[in-house]
Amino acid sequence: MTEHLASFPVLTCMLLSPVVGLLILLFLKENQAFAIRMVSLVAAGVSFGLAIYTFVSYDTALGGLQFVEKYPWVKAFGITYFVGVEGMNAPLLLLTGIVIFTGVLTMWELKERVREYFIFQLALVTGVFGVFMSYDMFFFFLFYEIAVVPMYILILIWGSTRKIYAAMKLTLYLMAGSGLIIPGILLLYSSSGLFTFDMIQLHGVAFAPWIQNLAFVFLLLGFGVLAAVWPFHTWSPVGHVAAPTAVSMLHAGVLMKLGSFAILRVAMYLCPQGFQYWAQFMGLLATVGIVYGVFVGLAQTDLKYVIGYSSVSHMGIVGLGLATGTIDGLNGAVFQMFAHGVMTALFFSAVGYIYDRTHTRDILQLGGMSKIMPVASAFFIVAALCGAGVPGMASFWAELLVLVSAVKVFPVRGLLAIASLVIGALFALRVVQNCFYNDPNPKFAHFEDVSPFLGLPRMILIGFMIFFGLFPQVMLSLIKSSIVPFIQGM
Amino acid sequence: MGSVDTVFWMCTAIVTLPLLAFALIMIFTWRKPQLSLAISLVCSTIPLILAWYLFVTIRDVSLAKPLIVQVEWLVSSDIFRVPFGFLLDPVSLLMLAIVATIAWLIQIYSLGYMEGDPGFARYYADLSLFGMSMLSLVTANGLLQLFISWELVGLSSYLLIGFWYEKFSASEAGKKAFVVTRFGDTGFFMGLALLVIYFGTLDINAVNLAGLSKTMPQWLLTTTSLLIFCGVAGKSAQFPIHVWLPDAMEGPTPVSALLHSATMVAAGVYLITRLFPFFAASPTTLTVILVIATITLLLSSTIGLVARDIKQVWAYSTVSQLGFMAMGLAAAGLAGGTMFAGYYHLVTHAGFKALLFLCAGVFIHHFGTNDFFVMSKEGGRHLRVPMITVTIGALALAGIFPFSGFFSKEAVMGVLWHLPSKIWVGLGLFGAFLTAYYTFRVIFVLLFPRPDDHPAWEEYKREEPAGHGHGEEEHGGGLGYQAMCFPLIVLAGITCILGFLMGPLEGYLLGEHHPHDLNYLLLFLAVGAALTGIGLAWKDWGARTAKWQGFIRSFPSLENFFLQKWYMDHFWRWFLNAVIYGTFSKIFTYNDRRVVDGGVDAVAFSCQGGGRLLSFLQTAFLQYNLLFMVLVLAGLGIYLLMGL
Repeated sequence: MTEHLASFPVLTCMLLSPVVGLLILLFLKENQAFAIRMVSLVAAGVSFGLAIYTFVSYDTALGGLQFVEKYPWVKAFGITYFVGVEGMNAPLLLLTGIVIFTGVLTMWELKERVREYFIFQLALVTGVFGVFMSYDMFFFFLFYEIAVVPMYILILIWGSTRKIYAAMKLTLYLMAGSGLIIPGILLLYSSSGLFTFDMIQLHGVAFAPWIQNLAFVFLLLGFGVLAAVWPFHTWSPVGHVAAPTAVSMLHAGVLMKLGSFAILRVAMYLCPQGFQYWAQFMGLLATVGIVYGVFVGLAQTDLKYVIGYSSVSHMGIVGLGLATGTIDGLNGAVFQMFAHGVMTALFFSAVGYIYDRTHTRDILQLGGMSKIMPVASAFFIVAALCGAGVPGMASFWAELLVLVSAVKVFPVRGLLAIASLVIGALFALRVVQNCFYNDPNPKFAHFEDVSPFLGLPRMILIGFMIFFGLFPQVMLSLIKSSIVPFIQGM
Repeated sequence: MGSVDTVFWMCTAIVTLPLLAFALIMIFTWRKPQLSLAISLVCSTIPLILAWYLFVTIRDVSLAKPLIVQVEWLVSSDIFRVPFGFLLDPVSLLMLAIVATIAWLIQIYSLGYMEGDPGFARYYADLSLFGMSMLSLVTANGLLQLFISWELVGLSSYLLIGFWYEKFSASEAGKKAFVVTRFGDTGFFMGLALLVIYFGTLDINAVNLAGLSKTMPQWLLTTTSLLIFCGVAGKSAQFPIHVWLPDAMEGPTPVSALLHSATMVAAGVYLITRLFPFFAASPTTLTVILVIATITLLLSSTIGLVARDIKQVWAYSTVSQLGFMAMGLAAAGLAGGTMFAGYYHLVTHAGFKALLFLCAGVFIHHFGTNDFFVMSKEGGRHLRVPMITVTIGALALAGIFPFSGFFSKEAVMGVLWHLPSKIWVGLGLFGAFLTAYYTFRVIFVLLFPRPDDHPAWEEYKREEPAGHGHGEEEHGGGLGYQAMCFPLIVLAGITCILGFLMGPLEGYLLGEHHPHDLNYLLLFLAVGAALTGIGLAWKDWGARTAKWQGFIRSFPSLENFFLQKWYMDHFWRWFLNAVIYGTFSKIFTYNDRRVVDGGVDAVAFSCQGGGRLLSFLQTAFLQYNLLFMVLVLAGLGIYLLMGL
């Protein structure tokens, strides 16, 4: 892959902006709530702006890795600080920027331990940015862990509904995943004979088939835990439910993508033969996840559980796209990572507003919310329609690409996944009907609708969703520019 | 006609302006009814003008040589590319003009009907979205673009049917419409996926050419056409997934008129017309369509015999007429004919069915009930304009000369006549008889109410409280009433003259005019069937001595079967509750809680328990610790010794 060095360290700035914000927060006092929020917002905003900048100014004609920064760190082990942008991670960096920026705005009303909250949230997002831009496996894994650990504290302190159980479960699951990832990475590192963690260099090594097969399955399952691959998904609905709003947004919107992105970036990139060996298995797990997620979601009564299972199903689509190993499939999978991230962030953001007022997420108790808070309800309904796969939204294109290529590669599984779309629609509309239509519950009648300021983050999310729904080529030409060489290199 | 570029921009404007109206209203002006109305009207009038302009000026196109303007929309790989463009040929141009007109008339009519509704702005936004989806559906160049519009039609119908969302029945009906049509759409989607994989393109023209020249393998052709027909069945409410359509009456009446005349339900039949050569290449598919359409025709006509809700009657008549059109198209394909008859019936039906619904809307708006017996009792016949126009619509629906329905029904019957088996034309005639009967049941009940002390009123009492389902009482003569009457008159006029345009239309659509040799026997039979139906309706409902009991009353079990709508709703309800929720959802959820999650929790808890158990070893009593050490060392020693 050709590398084009950055003239200005854009990526490092993107990465360090939350860190700087975090450091400033350490020196602020708890009662300076407004300053705390503003610092977090600016820190997130700078990253967001830089993410947009890289997304827009990435040159698809030139291709390859751009904005590269490379500084050796521990030479003895071949550890390098190596970051860059290409077509497949630019959308994810943008996604992270969107979600953290809107997440900070969504949490504007937080009252409890504001300073600590934003410190952990910024720490988390630093890790996420790091994973998406690193091309050195050591840093990749390091950032991966940085992203995972603050989640435990965020859920434990600011969470709700069985938060201790959920935080523990989530952390143990992800640790178990890491326990599989480390052997996988070390296996590749040690058997390459290059003493480098540089992924681009490792890609040039032709590993023996058994090493590939073994390493791939380790990495697949290890990262798969974070991507909520069935049957390692149960931590995710529980975690979503317990987490505070913006953490759910980050968690479902971005963190789960870390897993699927890592499968693509590390596992499939370094072990192409291992991928060929396990592709059928991957496709099977993904399809089970798609079908299973919608059916289980159909029986849930907690709004966040419903969204949690819809995530399981939608992440199954990402997995299915990856498993096809075709250009269309991978394009769709990366597109779906982005689209699902925005959609699910909107979902949680909308639910967060309603939950903060009504203190319930039980769809049997809510009802007629459209009458009480039309705008807040509209946000949720838009997200639900997006989840139901309505065209004009970004996820429609992603699902289309994945499903068509899935039918091509695994006909039965592909058709099954298509058939589950009807359950997906039933699933989304059932929730919408129960919560937002019918007679309003008089208990909630006095709540005010969302203010323009609090509506802003939700509008941003909807804007991105619809923009890429109407002009998918903007995103796709970028993704394609790195997927095509990726497939050729496999 | 301008250059191709101009045409492209005009088509784009037709499609995007209503979308723009939707976005503007939903984001900015949803609190301001007047402004929203203005935006919506502007954004539906310009497309109307452009559509008619295109219809009139584009002359040098034909089915074989359409005008295609397109740009790339999405390119994922060499095999997967989606163009955004327009296919203009007589079929789409005519439909474009019809859709734009009806959508515009509905907007005018709704001025009166929806006046003062709290959701006025939202209503116009949804109407605009609907208009956009329908306009893009009829002009789409690729099947995928068509599918996208198709789904958007589903979305906007969901929003419109469930417009009064605070009513449970309305929100339920909206959901039902979306999910049931989606059920068919998954089939459509699968068909498209197979086409794109094995045929390589979704270009409508290419697909049709492959059907004409038989270059597509037969298995692929049959499979995909059957799958695409699933989508048609969903949208055009064909048996067994027609159940959403009668419930869709929960929406405001103008919406029912819009959905059931030229737009949503017609989309399915339009798709068959659009892909006629493709469908015609597969006799298997055509036979399936013919059978399903015939079942649909009979099922809905028989339910129409017993319905009391005026909108239900028109809804079932829509279902039956759609079945009739599909029969005509399938028969034409089987007998090697053209798609003209079915398409022509679609066109005439668009006019008179919109008329019937809009008339019903005036009555409903005035009397605050959907029950036409109550309307009759409270003096429905005094509303002069709607009463006259509804009769014109009914005459057309029954197929009476000289109204448009007569000509198109004759045309379809003529096609059916050419099938080797005469049973289809027989069933078609039977359907026509039933249609005439239930249509004139409504008309006679409205026109000739019994005297106040008549025993029949015992049975036909007002069931809902008096007053409006929405809005306040309004008396004839206001601006609202005039806004509502204007479209009625326009549509009635169209219904009267459209029949005589049959020849020119055929020439326009097919580029040639087939002189029809009049089949007097068939003509006699068809008119006879319609007149028998009307006569029987007169005997049962119209004449001074009529007891207001349908002839069906003599067969109580059959009547009950029809009243229960052939138990199709029961079937689907059972399917949903017992199979989807009761079996899959329940088992998977149980599995998730108990097996997948339970397994993990069991591991966690056994670790915890194991830790607790082992903690007994750490008692801090030196003697126990020593004992344990010795035991372990002894065990190790034994193991090593055995190894030696």
